[in-house]
Amino acid sequence: MLSWKPFALSVAVLLILFPFVYLVLLSLSSEWRFPDLLPSYFGLKNWATILGSEAGLLESFVSSLLISLSVAIVSTTSGFLISRAVFYHPKKNTLTLLAYFPYILAPVVFAACLSFFFLKMGLFGNITGVIVAQFIIAFPYALLFFSSFWNKKIKSYEDLVATLGGNRWQTFIKVLFPLAKGLILICFFQTFLISWFEYGLTSIIGIGKVQTLTIKVFLFIKEANYYYGALSCCLLIFPPVVLLYLNKRYVFKKLV
Amino acid sequence: MKNKRLNFGIILFIAIGVVPFVAAFIYALLYSFGVIGVANKGFTTEFWTSVLASGEFFTSFLYSFLIALVAVAVSVGGALWVTLKFRKRLEQKFLSFIIYLPLAVPGIVTGFFTFQLFSKGGFFARLSYQLGWITEASQFPDLVNDALAFGILLSFITMIMPFFVLLFLNVYKNERIEELSILAQSLGANAKQVTQRISLPILIKKTRVLIVLYFIFLLGAYEVPLILGRESPQMLSVLIIREIKQYDLDKISEGYVVAVMYTLIVSAAAIVLFFPRKGRMYEH
Repeated sequence: MLSWKPFALSVAVLLILFPFVYLVLLSLSSEWRFPDLLPSYFGLKNWATILGSEAGLLESFVSSLLISLSVAIVSTTSGFLISRAVFYHPKKNTLTLLAYFPYILAPVVFAACLSFFFLKMGLFGNITGVIVAQFIIAFPYALLFFSSFWNKKIKSYEDLVATLGGNRWQTFIKVLFPLAKGLILICFFQTFLISWFEYGLTSIIGIGKVQTLTIKVFLFIKEANYYYGALSCCLLIFPPVVLLYLNKRYVFKKLV
Repeated sequence: MKNKRLNFGIILFIAIGVVPFVAAFIYALLYSFGVIGVANKGFTTEFWTSVLASGEFFTSFLYSFLIALVAVAVSVGGALWVTLKFRKRLEQKFLSFIIYLPLAVPGIVTGFFTFQLFSKGGFFARLSYQLGWITEASQFPDLVNDALAFGILLSFITMIMPFFVLLFLNVYKNERIEELSILAQSLGANAKQVTQRISLPILIKKTRVLIVLYFIFLLGAYEVPLILGRESPQMLSVLIIREIKQYDLDKISEGYVVAVMYTLIVSAAAIVLFFPRKGRMYEH
């Protein structure tokens, strides 16, 4: 009897790939009106606008990249260093619970309640403000991510380095960073994605002046410009796909 | 010296991780009671009474709760089925990468894509027209911005089910369920008993905190219901932002009332879920 499983899996693979293919096709189309099953124009016209300033997509791509890289670098570094203090603290369970409050709250609601303070600090409607706001939501994630790293084994390594005369700097550079390298890289990817995918918080703190790719997607949806919307979606999806591939190929493999 | 360094780390943790949350909550609380705010004149419970009397918060909460519950139940159920049926095949090189791909799609793109497929002028409406099932776009059923939240549910399920498949595959391997199943079979258990008494209990027990966490995330979801939801009822985050961004200044305070209630609910959930207890795994 033939197994149904290969058939079901093939359908599943097609379903997974379908959104990627459909969005690329939509981004290459224009004048695709109901009830046509295929677009009347199919070509690179929309993609050519990336290089022009008409839609400002290249600018949005660069802004998104700058914001996400900054958030990922700062939150991973601070998350790693501060998590050491938190998870070696006698009250670590209570501190961990406190870290969950901002982590669990919807970022958009958090941003709406914080917007007054951002306005007072001159962080409203600019890239710095968006980076700070996204850092506030990415930091608890990074901190909790490293919770399992600071265990008894790591503590004994630290004690051993101290016994052998190593200083704090040497402990971090020669022992802790090499041991946590894989986790740091995964945390960097994850916090990059948290920032890259963020829409609600960015729209509140950036008040439309900071136009990341997610903001652009929504603007194009509101304008019913679905072709540019699909193009923005492609730009939004492909960097994470590359990151996932690198993550899976190089990071997970080394960790296993 | 060592203690000083640890304390400095704790001070930084409080400054970045705790102060913004507390400040945001206090601000929302004061605004909701009319103590601060452009048009407010001092302490009043008027906005709380108004919100509680209108019932919009409770409708919105119930609506969000049901959507999140159905999405999580279907996703977890589907992911368990996929894990138990296709586990070995999903370990193949090509498939093991493909199943990661949905994680690269953010909520806003999922919402946009669902809209493109299921709206009245979307892909399936065109297909139905070509197949002669409908003669005009308006005949296509309401599958986005609809009363039953079909579009929202579909988006949520496609967003989180792949994550749960990956999680369950990981737990299956780490908890050595394969070995336990072989042992049970050698002791005379049949396939159904192995699934019901070993695989499912272990998979669910080890991931229950994450399952609840995803339920809470969906409860506060914003982008997908913003694109695919209706004017009324709205999911919680959409309702809060709509009220806070209103030109009617009284409504802003009411928006903060809803924000305070939502924050209290998720904070209570965080305490129940993460209150210090021993023996937890796969919490995040």
